Formats: sequence, structure tokens, C-alpha cells
Amino acid sequence: MSAPTIAGPDRSVVPGRGPLRPFHFPQVHRRALANGMPVLVAELRNFPIVTVDLVLDAGGLAEPEGRNGLSSVAAGLLESGAGDRSAAEIAELVDDLGLSLDAGASWDTAQCGFTCLRSRLEPGFQLLADLVRHPTFPEGEVARVVDERVTGIVQRRGTPSAAADEAANRWIFAEGTTFARPLSGMLRTLQGIEREDVAAFHAARYRADSATLVAAGDASVDEIVALAERFFGDWQGGAGPVAPAEVRPRADRTTIVLVDRPGSVQSELRVGHVGIERDAPDHFAVTVMNAILGGTFSSRLNMNLRERLGYTYGASTSFAMRRQPGPFSMSTAVQTEVTAHAVSEMLRDLRGMQETEVTAAELDDARNYLAGVFPLGLQTTDGVSGKLSTIATYGLADDYYQDYRERLLAVTADDVMAAARERLWPDRAAVVIGGDAEKVREELEALDLGPVVVLDPEELES
Amino acid sequence: MQIPIDRYELDNGLKVVLSEDHTNPVVALNIWYNVGSRNELPGRTGLAHLFEHMMFQGSQHIPETGHIAHVERVGGSLNASTWLDRTNFYDTVPSDRLELVLWLESDRLGCYLPALTQEKLDNQRDVVKNERRQRVDNQPYGDWDERLQGMLFPPDHPYHHSVIGSMEDLDAASLDDVADFFRTYYAPNNAVLTLCGDFDPAEARRLIERWFGPIPRGPAVPPIPGRPVLEPFKLGREVRHTARGGVPLPRVYLAWRVPVYGTPDYYAADVASELLAAGKSSRLYRRLVREQRLARSVSAFLLPVVTGSSAFIVRGNAPGGQDPAVLERALLDEVELLARELPEPAEMERAITGLEARHLFELQKVNERADQISMLTTYFDAPELISTELDRYRAVTAEDVRRVAATFLTPDNRVVLSYVPDADAPAEAS
Repeated sequence: MSAPTIAGPDRSVVPGRGPLRPFHFPQVHRRALANGMPVLVAELRNFPIVTVDLVLDAGGLAEPEGRNGLSSVAAGLLESGAGDRSAAEIAELVDDLGLSLDAGASWDTAQCGFTCLRSRLEPGFQLLADLVRHPTFPEGEVARVVDERVTGIVQRRGTPSAAADEAANRWIFAEGTTFARPLSGMLRTLQGIEREDVAAFHAARYRADSATLVAAGDASVDEIVALAERFFGDWQGGAGPVAPAEVRPRADRTTIVLVDRPGSVQSELRVGHVGIERDAPDHFAVTVMNAILGGTFSSRLNMNLRERLGYTYGASTSFAMRRQPGPFSMSTAVQTEVTAHAVSEMLRDLRGMQETEVTAAELDDARNYLAGVFPLGLQTTDGVSGKLSTIATYGLADDYYQDYRERLLAVTADDVMAAARERLWPDRAAVVIGGDAEKVREELEALDLGPVVVLDPEELES
Repeated sequence: MQIPIDRYELDNGLKVVLSEDHTNPVVALNIWYNVGSRNELPGRTGLAHLFEHMMFQGSQHIPETGHIAHVERVGGSLNASTWLDRTNFYDTVPSDRLELVLWLESDRLGCYLPALTQEKLDNQRDVVKNERRQRVDNQPYGDWDERLQGMLFPPDHPYHHSVIGSMEDLDAASLDDVADFFRTYYAPNNAVLTLCGDFDPAEARRLIERWFGPIPRGPAVPPIPGRPVLEPFKLGREVRHTARGGVPLPRVYLAWRVPVYGTPDYYAADVASELLAAGKSSRLYRRLVREQRLARSVSAFLLPVVTGSSAFIVRGNAPGGQDPAVLERALLDEVELLARELPEPAEMERAITGLEARHLFELQKVNERADQISMLTTYFDAPELISTELDRYRAVTAEDVRRVAATFLTPDNRVVLSYVPDADAPAEAS
């Protein structure tokens, strides 16, 4: 290092650490209501804010055959009429109270809840119970929300990044299996949804024994439990179990799929395959491995494609973990001219993760990163409530997050290499290229990575 | 809710704000430089943002990409952004690493130029050009802000061009341009440093003095180029454009010049935007989305900018096949109603309730608090506004809303930008 050009301390030495106070995930309290419904509560007292969420076993996996998108339509319609209130009256009440109301569905669950100032907790609870227990699903609102979702699909398929994601899932998972289709549905399935479908789905799945109430924020356990008892304690009914997703990979060898968008100045790239379920035994090893491969700015993939080659604004990898294995995906967008080389570099990084031993520094950096950023997501009531939902959805222990950081820090280099070898599949990946097919096809064929096919847009509706 | 504020200044002109909160063992460092795309010269659009990227390419004591690696490996998160009026840099780290981020941020302010190379510039130029492709050129509606700025502001106004800049200007940026930009704008006397979170204030003051104190004051910052003051303030006519092709569904943007952030009329206009589109009880959502179904979603917002003029923007996303002219008329009907009739007290109250709740929800994160404090200090030298700005909203009367709508949201001050999916649609009759 050269001599400093300004006065002051020696800048060539990295400063040491100050005193560190320990971080503790807030204590998770579990109670049961008179009807058996579980309640999970964590107290956060620094802001006068509370988040309350009802987590229901009413997600995409619970949809009847041929009704893809119904779970999300049903959740979206809860605020379209409930009890004796119309959609407009509910909207006025929500805004009068300053509630941030949110309802939606994932593959595993439906969720409905709100964040509010603590002074509005009781009316918020009352409204939540009304929405979840007594929705009216007015005919006109059903048609409107279905239309909204249809528009959303047109929008998604016209947006290069979202269209590439949809195509990737089609080629990661076998035809006809659950996760090959989008959670938000397809045009043909959405257009078939009638009021009776929504009402029947609600009647079957929004039941007391499929629900967990979670709450985090400026309220005591007793306050939350008392309100929950008042508004949900007499709720009855059984929903029965949901059949697990059928999960199978589509291709038995790496396949290149072109999603043609003539005139594109960039190619959206995805390299993906079947990943892992949320409670996989190597969850922590896979999480650290993913951080090294593409989960941080300093990861191998981003440093290669962005900082070394300058091909992209950014590149990343992720595992979507569900009750059954969701997709693993590498994702980036590069200028059209370098498409083929970028694809070969992605596959090289994927294979390299299995072949090149992680260094002690890589391992340390990734573990420390994940352990360090964990508290950053827990500053807000909805951040903590989200973790309580994860505990409820995946049946994790109530104290799961208490030693979460320690378990990340305990992952070894051997664990990471074992996870890479078992969980990454460079030889049977779906490689999706959303871009100008005519401009990129020849070079992709010349890579000789596997068959090159062009996605048939009709297939998105199958 | 009272956010603690301790404001002081170093001898070199660096403004510092400390805001303690020991809830979690994390600390957010946030620096705003009072420079943005408004300071760019003709032929060099995009330079402020390209420069922001170059700030991550190392300084005398930090290797290329070392800044990010240092922060990530201790469990921190970081980023930066460039906008019309400013450029901000921020790091949130476990609180025992405060000195690390002070070292990193002070090195790229105090010892930047020795590490600058052509190779780094060429690499980041490629990255930024790909950012433009990803966010603007290959993204449906991705050029909406670039188009609105070009239509709302004359060529010699600093907001006429977009933050990302043109490909030609990015290609033209030289190493000298980057070095000059640094020498001109990156000085302690043109910056605000905020710490928010878990630190000992005496120790923080000592460490800030240690790392930032020795950096010399820079020269006086030159005035903003072009003509930031708009005379006359209003546009003087309606400006229209229809963009054809490349989008899946029709969309309409309306925009008007309105007074800058911080003025009483800005707050009144902001309340008007809340009445129009905040929440599902808002006028546009209720009538256009729920009842008439002319739009699938709506939004209304102001740009919190301080140079000459802000913009009041209304957006409507139409369903497929919807004639954008019909949606435009329906959006305008509601805007014109604001100018004619006083909003009901209950509606005004609802708008304030929403603003208050969302403000508090946002402030839970130390990094968000730090960013707002830096902003309020950069623009108004008033960090305490983080706790009191809501009073300015509460002071807005129904008549203020009506008057501001009648004064500024007028046809002769209006920009209309429509997107239609069909590239061959006939040109709009005018």
C-alpha cells in the first residue's frame, strides 16, 4: 500500500471491531384458542405498530384440478365484500383505520392480515375475522378480480423477465406436474372461474383447523390471545389434508429453450432445475452454497458476469423452497451479442461449484454474510410476523430461529461441497433464453450443450 | 413519535446527524452527496450515475469491488442510488463494524483519484449500458420517466434528461470527465453523513472525526447548469405523445408541473394525490378500477425534488382493448373535480391517517430512517422534520387542495403520454 495522501490514521490497515451486543430473535409464544386454533406471538416494543396474519392451508396445492389461480383469486376477493359490508365500505374502513391490509396465496398457504398502529388493533382484528370467516364474493367483484388476473397474465407474458421465469418453470418440471404451471394461473383456467368455485374453495379450505394466527409487535401475548379468542375462538370446521405436489424434472439432459422476442436488445437468461424442499436436511448447507454461487454481490456468478465481463447489470441464484422441492434458478439479463458466451459461463460456474473446492475465505464470507443480514430483516413487525408464518407453514420448532445464526455458522466446506454435488444438476438443466431467437440460435447450437428448442407459446396454456 | 436527532458539522463542512436506537445490534451509515443528474452538462447525460458505479471500483486503500466484499463479509448490506437532485450511498452493518464502514466511505471520498483507471471505467460503462437495456430499452413502459421529463421540462432545464442518460453520452464519458466530476462534487462540504442505530455517540463522534476529519474541504460547488428556474412556471400548453408497440397493454400517464418539495403547495398537492389514488377507497380506484372498470390499476404521486419544479404524476393501466383516450378522459374528470369541489373532512382525515401510518411503518428500519434524515438535511438543513413533517400535511386545508388543483393541474400545464400495444395504430388526431 502506498503512503496516505491525506493526514490522519493509517488507512492501509482494516479497522478492528467494536463491542458487539448479541442479537436474540424475539421469544416465540405459542397458545391455543378454545377451538384449538394455534396462535404464535412475538413482542416488539420499539414502535407502536402490530402485524397480524392468518395463515391458512389454502394455497395453490389445495386448488381443484383445472382451476389454477383459484387460491390467489379467492384470497384477493376476501376484501370484496364480507358480513354486511360491500367492497367500497371495507375499503373505506381499511383506509379510515390506516391499515396496511394484505391477502394472497403461495403454493403452500393463503394469508390474510394487516399491519396497523396499535391503537387500531381491535377494529383491525374484527375486520380480519369478518374477511376470513364471512366473505360474500359478490358476482360482479368475482368477474372484476378474474379480469384483473387475466390482465396480469397478459402483462407478465409481455414482460421479458417474467416471461422467462414462466418458461423456465415449464421446462424445469415435467409436463402436467404441479409446479410446471404458474401459481397465478393461466388464461384458460382463470377464465373458467365462477363465483361458485370461489365460494366452494373458501368453504372447503378456510376452516379453523387449517389456520394459524401469528402476530408480532407492540402488544402483549395476553392481549393478542384475548382478541384472537374473541374473534376466532368460536370458529369451527375441518379442512382435511392437502395432497402433496407431484414433483418430477422434465428433461433428462440439459436443454436449451428459446422464447422468441424479435428485436430484443437483451436476452433474459435462466438456468434451472428441481431444487429442494423447505425442510430438507441440508437446508443450511444449501443456503451457504447458494450464497457462494450467486446469492450475494460478491458471489462467483455476479463477479464473473458483471464485474469481470461487464455483460450484465447483475446475476443471481436462488432456491425456492416449498413443502415439496421448488425450482433452483440462475438468473440474469445480458446484451444480445454475448448471449451464447454468457450461457456457457453460467453453466461453467454451475459446474465449477461442484468441482472447485470452496476456499476458507469464501466459506467464512458467505456464512458471516447470512448470519449478519439475518437481523436486518427482523426490524419490522411484518418481518418478524413473516418468520412466524414460516414456522407455522413448515412445522418448524418454535425456537427454530433462536439458533438460526449458529446453525449457519456451523456449515463446513465439506457440507457445502456435498450440497453442491447433490443439489446442482448441470447435466440436466433447463436453459431458457428470452430474446431475439434469430440472432442467438446459431451460436447457442454451436455450444453443443444439448438440444435447442423453441418454446411454443401454446404450451403456456397446457 | 420523536426520532432523536443530534446534528453537528466538521471543520471541513461535512454535516453529520446522529440518531441513536439500541433496539437491534445494527447501525446504518448513509451519505447524501448534493449532486445528481441535474448537475450534468450537455453531452454528458448519465455521468452522475456512472460515477456512482465508479465509487464501488476501489480507492487508494480499497481494491476494486473491495468495498462491497468488506461489507458483505461482515454481514452487512449496502447499495447506492442516483437521482435528479442527489446521489446516496448506504451501508447497514452489525454495530461492531461501524469503524469499518467509516473507513470505507471516507477512503472513497478522501483518497479516490489514485485508484481510477480506464479499465474500470470501461467495465462499469458496460454494466451501466446493460442496466439501461434491462430497465429502459428492454422493459415495457421502461422509458416512461425519460419521456415525461423530456416533455415536462425544456431542453435547458436540468430535469429535461433522464438519470440513466443516453447510450451515446455514456460512450462519450472519459476518464477526465469522471475525475473532474469527483473533484467538483465529491467533497465533505457537499455531503451529509447520517448514522442511525446502535452506537455510542461519543465514540461515533470520535470515529467520524478520525476518518472524515482529515479530508480537506473542496472548492465551492458551481451553480446547477442550464436554467433551473422556470419562467413562466407553467408549461403554457398541453404536450402529448403516443408511444406505439413494445407493450402488452395500454397505459396512460398524465403529468403537471407543481411547486417543489418543501413548499406548502407541494404538501397540498401531495394530499391531492392521496385523495386520488392512495388505497382502495381513493377516488380513482373506486370509480375507475372498481366501478367503471376502465383501469386495472391506478396511481398518483409527486416527485420529491427541489430544483425549479416538481411533477404531479397520475398513471392508469388499462385492460386489453381499452381505448387510452377513454381512460385519459376518466382520469382527467377526477382531477378536474378536485379543482371544483372541496373534499369532505372525512376524506381529508383519511388521507392524513394513511400518510401517518405509512410513515411510521417505514421508519421501523434504521436504514430507512437514516436515508430520510440525510434527505431532509441535504434539502432543508432540517433533520428534525423526520418527526414534524406530518404537521405540514395536517396544516393542509380542503381549500388548499382545491386551490392547488385549480392552479396547477390545468390543461395548459399538462403532459399526456399514452402507450398502445399495436405498433401500427393510426396516429392520434390532434
